[in-house]
Amino acid sequence: MAGRTYGYNGVPPSKGKKGLKRYAMVVDLRRCTGCNACTAACKTAYDVPLGDWRIWVMEAETGEFPKTKRHVLPRMCNQCDQPTCVRNCPTKATFKHPDGFVLQRYNRCIGCRTCMVACPYNARHLLTDHRRDKRNPRNVADKCDFCIVRVTRGLTPICVASCTGGAMVFGDINDPDSEVARIVAANKTFTLRPEQGNAPQVYYIGLNEPIADPEFAFHHRSEQLHDRYNTFKRNSELGEELAGNIIDTDTGFFGIAKQGVHNMINFIATAPAKFFRGLF
Amino acid sequence: MDGQVISNAFHHTYWGFPLALYFWLVGGSAGSFVVSTLGWVFGVKKYKPIAFFASNTAIAMLMVVPLLLITDLGKPFRFFHLLMLPSFSHWSAPMVWGATFILTYPIGMAFYSYFVYYKNERMARICGILAIVLALCTHWYTGVVMQLNPSRLPNHASVAPILFLTGAYISGIGLLNILLWIRNRFVNTKKRVRTSILADMGRLMLYGIVFDLFLLGNEFLQMTYGIGEEHTILYDVLLGPFRWPYLYIEIIWGLLLPLVILAIPRINRLRYWVLAASFMCATGVFGMRVWWVMATQYYQGHF
Repeated sequence: MAGRTYGYNGVPPSKGKKGLKRYAMVVDLRRCTGCNACTAACKTAYDVPLGDWRIWVMEAETGEFPKTKRHVLPRMCNQCDQPTCVRNCPTKATFKHPDGFVLQRYNRCIGCRTCMVACPYNARHLLTDHRRDKRNPRNVADKCDFCIVRVTRGLTPICVASCTGGAMVFGDINDPDSEVARIVAANKTFTLRPEQGNAPQVYYIGLNEPIADPEFAFHHRSEQLHDRYNTFKRNSELGEELAGNIIDTDTGFFGIAKQGVHNMINFIATAPAKFFRGLF
Repeated sequence: MDGQVISNAFHHTYWGFPLALYFWLVGGSAGSFVVSTLGWVFGVKKYKPIAFFASNTAIAMLMVVPLLLITDLGKPFRFFHLLMLPSFSHWSAPMVWGATFILTYPIGMAFYSYFVYYKNERMARICGILAIVLALCTHWYTGVVMQLNPSRLPNHASVAPILFLTGAYISGIGLLNILLWIRNRFVNTKKRVRTSILADMGRLMLYGIVFDLFLLGNEFLQMTYGIGEEHTILYDVLLGPFRWPYLYIEIIWGLLLPLVILAIPRINRLRYWVLAASFMCATGVFGMRVWWVMATQYYQGHF
């Protein structure tokens, strides 16, 4: 890994390098209560639109009654040291900050969604046109930025500040005296999808590895979650523009054809608005 | 492991039908242009009469592409960001290579068409060589755009661009066959394309179908030896929500049936059978574009 330097716009990974900061986060899942305070705080702070998340909590249940267990897994951008999104972004809208943040430049982004397809963690989303404050960026990619605005002012990210169980710890992992470095050194930590080679910088303690797997999420989704997902696809305003959502309860020949035609009609119907809703 | 996910964020399929249609059109354009150059570049004289029409068809199909691509952007008027090398656009991103190809490929074809029209053999050959390289690159990059997403199976396979190119070749010939037949109904007898030419193009399509099936077979074999994710994708495309685009439309309708039609000596030179096979190929490849773009995003949308 050490020799790989492509895709950072000249910024090599800073982890373990003296004189450079490398901000990272540890989430101690033994302390996480799944209260979603992080989600709510982040949503409020950044005006994250309905249906999109910068941070969210994945919940799963295992075992059979009475021996059941609830697992929670806060998910966010992993601020990878080898970010595929940065390498694939065609306009350098997303880039690697020397201190380890993976950031988004809204004024460069063209909304092509390459980064979203490239991200193994589904950590990116497209901002809708309808924001609470119209001055906020619209129709471009967005993601968790480890609250760089707060961090550069000496504060922790808002999810960390709002964490009721004290499960999230944030800091410079290159500084051996920092809390985050000490926790990582003293505990067995896991990362999500390490086989993808992205070198994620969000570490989990007490991670139930089978749950942190797309295959598990697909095969073991609850019926209610499945229904809610299809409802989301049917009703999402953004889904009409993106024109790729398949409602998987209707996938016979006519079902697929109907959805394809429906998606294309929506795509064409929203096209004029796309051109006129803000030139640049 | 027993258990179920009871709460999670929802994710869209970010690239959908418009992108699939775009891949299909670029492929059709590249395939048409390959046929167009057979006469003037590769010296197969019997294809010379259709070169001009095939090249113009390729240009027409490519004209729709920027409309689709630009409209699909969140910020359509920022499309020029892709072309502002070296400071603005990102050289390592395949989409930037593609933008360059999409810009230059129709220009190359237009010059080729011009010299074919005026029967300038030498210049047509030079421009044809340049344009065919660009045609192949344009479609190669669409495969690469999908391939360079390491977390997306089965897109992340080195066979992806070749699979795309083979699909382009057969769908392009299929579309061209149908358009030539339609054209025959509107032009005078002298300008009509003979059925034997259509049948010969059907033969070219047959080679492409065999190669496509060979590649898909290899891909399938590799998937059966995969880990859980590969098996999930296999389930999705064989029994799950993408069984129609993959199994029925691409494999059976788009490849196996045309293979049978074009391999039977008695009917593979009859006009309507060749046209039927051409139609099947052209539409079948669209099924491939749909599942290739959307299946893996659909499945990982639950993560």
